[in-house]
Amino acid sequence: MKALEINSLKKSFDGMKVLEDVSMTVYRGDIYGFLGPNGSGKTTTLRILLGILFPDEGKVAVLKLNPSVDGARLRQRVNVLPESHGFYGWMRAEEYLRFFGQLYGLQLTTTDCRLQLDKVGLDPADIRPIRTFSRGMKQRLGIARSLLNDPEILFLDEPTNGLDPKGRRGIHDLLLNLNREKGMTVVISTHILDDVERLCNRIAILHNSKIQYEGSLFEPVVGKSTRYRFRVADDKNIPNTWNFPGILCQEKKGQWITCEIKDMQPDNALKFLIQNGIPIIEAIQVNSGLEAMYLNYTTQVKE
Amino acid sequence: MRLYKPLIKKECLEEIFSARGAALYLVVIGVLSVFSLLLVSNTELSLLENAQAVYMMSAIVMTLALLIIVIRGGDGFAGERERETLETLLITPVSPAEIAVAKLMGLLFTWLIVFVLSMPYLWAVGSTGQNLLSALVYLFAAGTFLVIIFGGFMLALSVRMKTFKGALSIGLTAFLLSGSPILLGSSLRQSAVGRVVDLINPFATALNMLDSVVVDSLGLLFQIMPLAILVFYTIAAIWVLSMTIRRVEL
Repeated sequence: MKALEINSLKKSFDGMKVLEDVSMTVYRGDIYGFLGPNGSGKTTTLRILLGILFPDEGKVAVLKLNPSVDGARLRQRVNVLPESHGFYGWMRAEEYLRFFGQLYGLQLTTTDCRLQLDKVGLDPADIRPIRTFSRGMKQRLGIARSLLNDPEILFLDEPTNGLDPKGRRGIHDLLLNLNREKGMTVVISTHILDDVERLCNRIAILHNSKIQYEGSLFEPVVGKSTRYRFRVADDKNIPNTWNFPGILCQEKKGQWITCEIKDMQPDNALKFLIQNGIPIIEAIQVNSGLEAMYLNYTTQVKE
Repeated sequence: MRLYKPLIKKECLEEIFSARGAALYLVVIGVLSVFSLLLVSNTELSLLENAQAVYMMSAIVMTLALLIIVIRGGDGFAGERERETLETLLITPVSPAEIAVAKLMGLLFTWLIVFVLSMPYLWAVGSTGQNLLSALVYLFAAGTFLVIIFGGFMLALSVRMKTFKGALSIGLTAFLLSGSPILLGSSLRQSAVGRVVDLINPFATALNMLDSVVVDSLGLLFQIMPLAILVFYTIAAIWVLSMTIRRVEL
C-alpha cells in the first residue's frame, strides 16, 4: 500500500530547474532513505510533499491527498523534522510541546509532555528556556515535537545532526521501534550513510534534479559479493562458521556474525537465514556498499 | 478558533517574554516620562495650554506605538523566517492566514500595552483640563485603526521580504513619509496640496482628528470624515494582507 507517490514532479526557482521529472514511491511501513548531495532538491521535495511549496508540474499524492489542495488536512496526519528548525528561545521545553500540541488540536498534560521528552532522552524536569539548550538537545526536542500527533508518515531532514554517537543510537532505536510497533512510515533525508544503512529498507538517490536510483537498499549484486554484519538475538546455538549456498559466514564475535553474500539478493539471503533458524535482529552492510553506490550515482556528469 | 487561540497566546506572550519585546516597552516608558515632564512643566509655566499638552502627549503615544508596530510587524513573517521558526509553524495544520490573524492580534495587544502604559502619563499631563476623557477615547479608537492599517501593511510586507532588515527599512521609510505632512509648516498644510496630503494620509488624519477633539472640542459629527478615511484604510490593509498571505514562501 502506497504511503506517498510522486510522478514527473518539476519545480524551478527563478528559471533554475531544481526538480526535473522526479518520480518516487514510498510504501506504508517503509523506512525510506532520501539521499542526494547538498542543493540536489531534497528539502524542496519534502516541502512539496507537505504542501508548503507548490510544484510547477507533476502529480503528488501523500496518504491519497494532494498536498497543494489538502495541505492542512494532510499535515494533521503527518509530521516533519526540518533540517533547520528554529525554536522560540523564551519557551520552556514543556511549554513548546504544549503549544505545538495545541496546533494539532491536542491538549497535552504535563505528564504527556514529560513522557514525550523522556522518550527522546531529554530531562523532563529541565525548566530552562530553550535558548540555553545545546544543539543536540534542540534536535531531540525537535524530534519530540515531530512525534506529537502520532504521524502516519514522519519526514526527517538530517535527524541525527548535532547528536553524539549515543544520542544517534537512541534516535535510531526510537525510529525502529515506532516503525515496528506502530507501523509508522519514515522518510529520512540525510547525508549520513550510516543512518541509512542502519535504518532504511528502501532508498532513492536524487542528483542532477532527477532520481538516479530508487529501490531496495540491498542493491542487486549478481556476480559480486557483499559483506554484511548480522546481529543475532541468541548466539549460543550458533556455530562459529557456517555455510549456506551463496552465504558464507566465517567470523563471529558475540552477537555479531559477518557473512559474505554472493550471487544473491541480500534481502533474500536475510529471509533464507531467518527461515533456517538464525535469529537475526539487525543487519548492516560492511565495506559501505551504499557509499560506493551513492558516490557512483552522484558523481555522474550532468547531461 | 481552535487553532487561533494558542497562536494568539504565543504572540502575546512573546511580546512580554522575548528580550526585544521587553526592551521596547522600557524605551516607551523612558520616552513618555521625559515628554510628560516637559509638557507638565510647560503647562505649569503657562507656556502651553492644557488641551494642547494633552494633544501633544496623545500624538507622542500614537507615534511611539506605531513605531513599535512597524518594527514588530516587519518582524512578523520575515523575522520568523530568519530565525527559522516559520517553517516549524507552516508544517503544522495551521494556515498562513491563521498565522497572520494571530500576528495582527499580537500587534493589537502591543497597542493595548502601550495605551495602558501611557494612561498615567496622560493623566499627569491632562488631569487639570476638560478633554482628557475624550482624548483617551479618541486616542484608543484612532490608535486601534492605525495599528490595523500599519500592522496589516507591515505584515504583508514581511511576507514578501526575505529579511527583517529589508522589511524594516521599507516600513520605516513609509512611516516617515506618512508622518511628513505633520512636519510641514502650517501655511503649507493650509494649501490645497497640503490639505490633500493630510486627507489621504491615515496618520495625519488620525492626528487631525485628535486635534479637533482635544484642542478644538469638536464633537463626533465632525469626525465622520476622518473616521471614514481610517475605516477605508483599515479595510484596504486587511485586503492587502489577505491577498499577500495566500502564498507564503520560505
